[in-house]
Amino acid sequence: MSRSATKSPGDELVIALAGQPNCGKSTLFNAVAGFKVNTGNFSGTTVAYTETRVFFEGRTVKLIDLPGTYSISAHDIAEKVARDYLLSGSVDVIINVLDSSTLARSLELTIQLMEMDVPMVIALNMFDEAQKKGIAIDAAKLASLTGVEACPLVAAQGSGVHELFRAAFKVSREAYRYRKPVYDKDVEECIARIASRYPQSLGELARVNERFVIIRLLEMDPEFEALAQEADPAFLQFVRENRRFLAEVHAWPETGVFASHRHAMVMDLFEDVAVVKSRAKLSFGEAVDSFIINPAGGLIAFAALIFLMFSTSFWLGDLLSGLLEGPLDLVGRQLPGLLSGNVLILAAGLWDGVTAGLGIVLPFLVPLLTLMSLLEDTGLLPRIAFMMDGLLHRFGLHGKSVVPLILGYGCNVPAIMAARNLEYERDRIITLLVVPFISCSARTVIIMALAGKYLGAGYATLIYLGNIAVALAMSFLLSRFNVETSPGIIMDVPPLRRPYAGIVLRKVWAMTYEFLAFAWPVIAISSIVLAVMAHAGVDAYVNAALSPVTAFVLDLPENLGITLFLGIFRKELTLIMLESALGTANVASVLSPVQLLVLVVFTVLYIPCIATISTLWKEGGWKVAAASVALNTAVALVVAGTIAHVL
Amino acid sequence: MKLDDLGQGALAVIAGITGGRGVLARMASLGLYAGKKIRVVQTAPFKGPILVEDVATGARTMIGRKIAAHVEIRNEEPR
Ligand SMILES: Nc1nc2c(ncn2[C@@H]2O[C@H](COP(=O)(O)OP(=O)(O)O)[C@@H](O)[C@H]2O)c(=O)[nH]1
Repeated sequence: MSRSATKSPGDELVIALAGQPNCGKSTLFNAVAGFKVNTGNFSGTTVAYTETRVFFEGRTVKLIDLPGTYSISAHDIAEKVARDYLLSGSVDVIINVLDSSTLARSLELTIQLMEMDVPMVIALNMFDEAQKKGIAIDAAKLASLTGVEACPLVAAQGSGVHELFRAAFKVSREAYRYRKPVYDKDVEECIARIASRYPQSLGELARVNERFVIIRLLEMDPEFEALAQEADPAFLQFVRENRRFLAEVHAWPETGVFASHRHAMVMDLFEDVAVVKSRAKLSFGEAVDSFIINPAGGLIAFAALIFLMFSTSFWLGDLLSGLLEGPLDLVGRQLPGLLSGNVLILAAGLWDGVTAGLGIVLPFLVPLLTLMSLLEDTGLLPRIAFMMDGLLHRFGLHGKSVVPLILGYGCNVPAIMAARNLEYERDRIITLLVVPFISCSARTVIIMALAGKYLGAGYATLIYLGNIAVALAMSFLLSRFNVETSPGIIMDVPPLRRPYAGIVLRKVWAMTYEFLAFAWPVIAISSIVLAVMAHAGVDAYVNAALSPVTAFVLDLPENLGITLFLGIFRKELTLIMLESALGTANVASVLSPVQLLVLVVFTVLYIPCIATISTLWKEGGWKVAAASVALNTAVALVVAGTIAHVL
Repeated sequence: MKLDDLGQGALAVIAGITGGRGVLARMASLGLYAGKKIRVVQTAPFKGPILVEDVATGARTMIGRKIAAHVEIRNEEPR
């Protein structure tokens, strides 16, 4: 069978990138297209496909980054999306991206893709990693054995990209010589038997080459079985008999008989094209891996991570925030000289919002997003998930939630963004609702400044631990409300890799940009509203309106209403405004210890700040954002109110 | 014997996967199906997942315990 290219060099060429998760598809896509897709060393980064038009090597290319799949069995959504696209007939060339460092496994997909009979080239990505692992791959031999051009590639460094695309252009122009993978005698005889009875009606229904359909049927593919049933039930019966026969001959269960054959074929191919030098020494990555995969080593690594997280937010974040504060203040102080009247009020409000985004959120956001990207790109994330999964299960979460939860202690905004990695809606929503309960660095400062200063370190620690308990209790309760149970974890654990600065930075920029484009305007607008309200002297109204909460539920002075309200804009404001609202610098002279405790507990738990709310809105929709606000407020009222009335 | 009965370092062959089509499919799509020879690299603390390695390809996958209880295995015959 062969198919000749119908496109002339002037036409747009449709090239689809197909490969297993973590093979570096997105990295290749971005190398060609500029930064458009979120890459990461974590399964499921690309769920739907992304496409872009680029002009490359003198041709217009429509490039499609399909979701990463281990096979094309259409078992899950990603596999179905990828397969449907490839079979749609609109793809001119498939670039099958392989992770050369796990070549044997990668080839399993290659064989399946070849059966589709679409022009194809193989990209031997991570060629550098393979070399490091002592795997020598003979690309020319792979090409001659499979009939598919194979090009070594290091997508992360951009080397080999041009050669790869040149090969792809070539394969599309010339007639593609389809060489079908040949299975062992039993299987081939079986396929031939079935082919002799292949009904024409099925050919019309499936609109894919016959051999591919037969193989899918032998693999018990439900979609093709349904088509066969529709076309000719007797034929399907015949296929099933043959399948049973194959299973009996090999004493393999029917479900795995074909996969086992393909696996055997892949292993033969692998042995033909790759030489694995046995190394006396583990590579650095492997040595680190074998250390952290042990419970003891993992615990040390985990502790190091927490330490890193806290030092990034408290040391680096504070440092950056301090550096920005001076210049931003300076600009802010120029405003009264330049503007006057109502314009000044609006401008000052706007400037407050701008600086809140720039001076308060960014210094924490950027370092924490960098940390998160590093965890993703090195492959540490699945290892942390592995270690914490059991523990988190007791609280209704699972291993993948661990990173959002840890990042939340720095800043809730990147933590909410990190929840994207959770592929099940249920787990993601629970994580999104739990994160705002976590005491971010701003709230931790309040705990230290108020409880630490006036009540003592013991109370401060107690509040902090109490906050962790509340977060865990929330996740426990939320998971009980959710009838669906988490199906449990099945996750690929890719080898540890060195991160690439350029890739990490582009990813951090992409996420920072999202924050700037979405959350920042929300902060700026709310700051303007706040400024107008302050000017109109609504303090008293706010205090009066909130008095049922402040005075009755929380048993606090009524004039704290406005400070609590301001905390919604940024949590630090509660602290800053407290002294002016109380009219004294010695807070303890006005508030009793219990009142102080109530104030701190309430501030830590109630409505997340505006940046968090707007990020929640963006990531989970307005319903999740609203639910989070309601939940946090309710819990804060119950917990702080109980303290106020019981103590 | 089931996968979750295995200790660290144990070698085994997957004999079959019970449970719903979903479990079967997810395992298969990660390259874990009947006939595959696997090694238990590590079991996670707190009744956490089991890290298995495909002996032939070196690819590693973590499998939650609930799911591991659906994986029927037989011990690797001594050669
Ligand atoms: N060493 C090395 N790492 C790479 C290469 N290509 C991609 N990576 C890294 O592999 C990881 C996974 O890549 P990604 O593009 O997200 O994979 P995808 O899931 O297939 O889209 C990222 O951390 C990349 O930086 C390569 O050629 N060599």
